[in-house]
Amino acid sequence: MIIDTNAYLGHFAFRQLRNNTAASLLKLMDDKGIDKAIVSSASAITYRNTQPANEALAAEVQSHRDRLIPFGVVNPFYAGWRDDLKACHETLGMKGLRLYPGWHNYKLADPGCHDLANAATERGLILSIPLRVEDARDRSWLVDVPDLPPADITALIKAFPKARFMLLNGLQFVSTPLGRRGTDLPTNYLIEISRIDSVLANEMGQLIANLGADRVVFGSGMPFNYPDPALLKLEVLNAGKDVKDKVAWKNAAQWLGLAP
Amino acid sequence: MNTTAADEPLPTRRRFLKHATATASLLATDLARTGGPARAELAIEDQPEPKSKPEPERRPKVIDCHAHLAHRSKPSWADDDRALIDAADRLGIDQLCCSLLTPRKGATPEGFQECNRWALEATKRFPDRVLAYCYVNPGHTKEALEDIRRCVGEGFIGVKLYNDHFATDPVIFPVIELAIELGVPILHHAGHLHYFLKEQPRISDGGHFAELARRYPEAKLICAHVCGGGDWEWTIKALRHAPTVFLDTSGSVLDDGVVELAVQTLGADRLVFGCDMSMTAGVGRIRGADIDPVDKAKILGGNMEAILKGRK
Repeated sequence: MIIDTNAYLGHFAFRQLRNNTAASLLKLMDDKGIDKAIVSSASAITYRNTQPANEALAAEVQSHRDRLIPFGVVNPFYAGWRDDLKACHETLGMKGLRLYPGWHNYKLADPGCHDLANAATERGLILSIPLRVEDARDRSWLVDVPDLPPADITALIKAFPKARFMLLNGLQFVSTPLGRRGTDLPTNYLIEISRIDSVLANEMGQLIANLGADRVVFGSGMPFNYPDPALLKLEVLNAGKDVKDKVAWKNAAQWLGLAP
Repeated sequence: MNTTAADEPLPTRRRFLKHATATASLLATDLARTGGPARAELAIEDQPEPKSKPEPERRPKVIDCHAHLAHRSKPSWADDDRALIDAADRLGIDQLCCSLLTPRKGATPEGFQECNRWALEATKRFPDRVLAYCYVNPGHTKEALEDIRRCVGEGFIGVKLYNDHFATDPVIFPVIELAIELGVPILHHAGHLHYFLKEQPRISDGGHFAELARRYPEAKLICAHVCGGGDWEWTIKALRHAPTVFLDTSGSVLDDGVVELAVQTLGADRLVFGCDMSMTAGVGRIRGADIDPVDKAKILGGNMEAILKGRK
């Protein structure tokens, strides 16, 4: 069993994506042995009003809810975000959100973002935060969205110990408090592996050693990324089946409330 | 992190193959369909075979065209080099074409000569696993040419150029001409970004290589790390009409579709597999590419093997 915590549907503004419909992504997942995936709208990253993208996503996965788990994209500085949040949760049946502070022009420390974190936590929604969308070197001439600073995420995690966070598309956590052993941070966040390697410096192994196998989850970034590197790093991870199962699906299943 | 001492005995071929068995399918999944055995099958090749069984066709060699050895100013250099071999073992990579760069770019002759001596030592520590590029700063023409000639004479497989000068700068022409004379490839650092990279003001891109290739069509130019050099779609399109330039698939960027676009635009014969130390990214993107298994085998090693056979 593999659950991908970092997948997308829809169009991205700056590059054509393949396998970005429910049918084609499911075909890719079948080919790669990935059972379920958390998906959000790639289009919502650059939309001003993200809610139509959330609605389109929900419609796209409607007949595949057993495998595609939709997360909404909500901008806490856009009019009506509380209505959108309520709709994402109550009408569209979403179990979490993805936040794009860099793309939506706010900071994680802004009071508006804290309002969103509070509201999502009250609803039991997972807050999924991609530290980047694209590699900075690939960026279009139109935009310059820097990676989220780990310190901003650390502060948010500290401020909301009852919230649940998934940190996506990050790297070098072990050189920050987020990936170190023995910090005063709450254990309310999971780290996703798409950019973290299990050979050479082996950050994946270091994170498991520092935080525990319960804190690391599989994610690929598909269809932005080939899913194969993430699958490969899990395969060659120097760990037993128990640890690999936790990373591959058990941790995500527990957070998503999925039956084993 | 692998902590094996550098002077630990090298793994025997049998031990290496046994170790690699668990991950044999990593690169061999598609190759197996070409008729070549996966490493798992190779693992039993030392055992006597019944005479009635046909000899299995050997799996094509997997060659990482872009790897780096650690500079010895780094205290962990020996462990780091060993970890590279360990990663190659786990990922089914047979050979690593390595350069050893000075920490500060704009290398002095003393700096690159020292690096090349250490690279030579690494080829002896890891025989048949580490192949070495001779790294030079072409701005020091006399010393660069001397070191290239010496290194290739000692078995180095090619020349590595960084970003000291644009690939179209006449200062690098003598280096290209010597590489042509010796029949060795030039792996050249590359990138095309849609903003000025102030740390690398003279980084070359696909357009520079296309221009250089028009001047020197006999040169075996390898444009480095398409997946670590900015807009890869731009790079691939820029190289379309430069048929003598190879493209190295390495880099840390995991973007889907790079390999397919490169095969479609340039042809599989012009692609060479590499990791540039992003090991699972490098291997994973080739494994994931939706291309013909025969093309995959060429990219993984066949093309680089052919390039290396051209040494005079």
